[in-house]
Amino acid sequence: MLNGKGVAAVVRALALRTALPVAGVLVLLALWWAVAASRLWPPVFVPSPGAVWHQLIATSTVHDGQRGYAGHLLHEHLAASLRRILLGSLYGITGGVALGLLIGLVPTVRALLSPLVTFVRTLPPLAYFSLLIIWFGIDELPKTTLLLIAALPPVAVATAEAVRGVHADYLNAARSLGARGWQIPLRIVLPSALPEVMTGVRVAVGVAYTTVVAAETVNGVPGIGGMIRDAQRYNQTDLVVLGLLVIGVSGLLIDAALQLAERRLAPWRGRT
Amino acid sequence: MPSPAEPAPPELTAPTEPAAPASHDAAVALREVSLSYGRRRTRTQALDGIDAEIPPGAFVTVVGPSGCGKSTLLRLVAGFLTPTGGAVEVTGRPVTGPGPDRGVVFQQPRLFPWLSVRGNVEFGLRATGVPRDRRRERAAELLNAVGLTDAADHRPHELSGGMQQRAAIARALAPGPAILLMDEPFAALDALTRERLQEEIRRIWQTTGTTVLFVTHSVDEAVYLGTRVLVLSRRPGRLLLDHPSDLPHAPDPRTDPAHPALRETIAAAVRRAAA
Repeated sequence: MLNGKGVAAVVRALALRTALPVAGVLVLLALWWAVAASRLWPPVFVPSPGAVWHQLIATSTVHDGQRGYAGHLLHEHLAASLRRILLGSLYGITGGVALGLLIGLVPTVRALLSPLVTFVRTLPPLAYFSLLIIWFGIDELPKTTLLLIAALPPVAVATAEAVRGVHADYLNAARSLGARGWQIPLRIVLPSALPEVMTGVRVAVGVAYTTVVAAETVNGVPGIGGMIRDAQRYNQTDLVVLGLLVIGVSGLLIDAALQLAERRLAPWRGRT
Repeated sequence: MPSPAEPAPPELTAPTEPAAPASHDAAVALREVSLSYGRRRTRTQALDGIDAEIPPGAFVTVVGPSGCGKSTLLRLVAGFLTPTGGAVEVTGRPVTGPGPDRGVVFQQPRLFPWLSVRGNVEFGLRATGVPRDRRRERAAELLNAVGLTDAADHRPHELSGGMQQRAAIARALAPGPAILLMDEPFAALDALTRERLQEEIRRIWQTTGTTVLFVTHSVDEAVYLGTRVLVLSRRPGRLLLDHPSDLPHAPDPRTDPAHPALRETIAAAVRRAAA
């Protein structure tokens, strides 16, 4: 049981855990404000926090007969980007888990596909985006495909490693209990690989996040990446910064959600 | 965390299906079993011509110095390894791989961490297609027998080492194996828990009549549990002694008058084996 001292320690730890990040953000904001206010650089290089705030309001409302930015409200831009990230990650994760299982379980497949996965993983997404545009045009298909290709390798590699690392006695125990055929990969290999697969998923969603801006450089409105791209063309630096902040903050929230899912799905991690 | 109470659990009833066809006279037969591994210069002979029969209902303990191949012997019976010479037969059939006729308890519990304790116990029943109701019933019975009824819905990592090993025993017994193979199952536990689990496995063996092959490096454990004590020599493992014993049938083997002499016989053989 916790005694008074223990409770105090927990409260202190909690306060520290929330207070420190908040303090960090506040210090950064103050610095930003000071640099902008000093007019060391013109606002087109360093927009003030106030200008970015103003853009946040402007893009989130209908004003002067104009709806948000380029006809879409900020949350609609964000929703469009999130939808692409979600679809691309979902396809990439599904394909990555299946591919990783095959690579981890079948030596022939490992020899055939392992170099290919590594090859694709080292390519910058923008490099093959041009090819995808030639093949699929400029609508949603090349964007989703780009995110799929970016998200798949981390999951495939993590799954393959985890599958090969399954303790032999788990397999022995399962066979001694009568499991055979498809039951082994489905009931033993996959669940025991789950913690590592979840780490791969977090990496994959992160990669999809960084790739979505690249995917939205072509015909990307609505979309945060498209908004940043257009704002850059007209030197609307405050809007560019707003876009960056929106992507960063939503990415943090999604990673926190994935971490929570990881703890829920694999509570035994590090304890076996 | 307060240490969980481990009450003496109630009696276990025998599985409704007979564990092994009664027509066979040996649960396990080892026929000149040898195993060597590695190649050429690094070739190691782990076991050399082990010949033994285990009758149904026996509790056979295997003891010997570390590295004598006693765990290897158990893994051959389990079907995790294939002998390079001779053959292993279980209930008259040659062993070609692992199967639900041989339940295995490892030194580490090796419970599936993604399943609840009940899920672990039901695993073998599910894999062999036992219907849900029957599964629930049998798992409840086994969990009750090892005193884990209250822990059924917990995950393995929430249990103490002793409780995890009880769950592993219940899991291995669930499919009703002809023989229970135990590979130093209590070696990683503290002395008090170990002694309690020794008493418990003896009781389970007495009430279910299941056959047990039990590998240990502890002479005391081998003497307390074995109706037959096998002593293996150092590598290459040979059968040094095959000693029958009535001690496990005694009301209290540890204080039985026959205990000191038997213990000394086995200990002397193990000393010879290690020499």
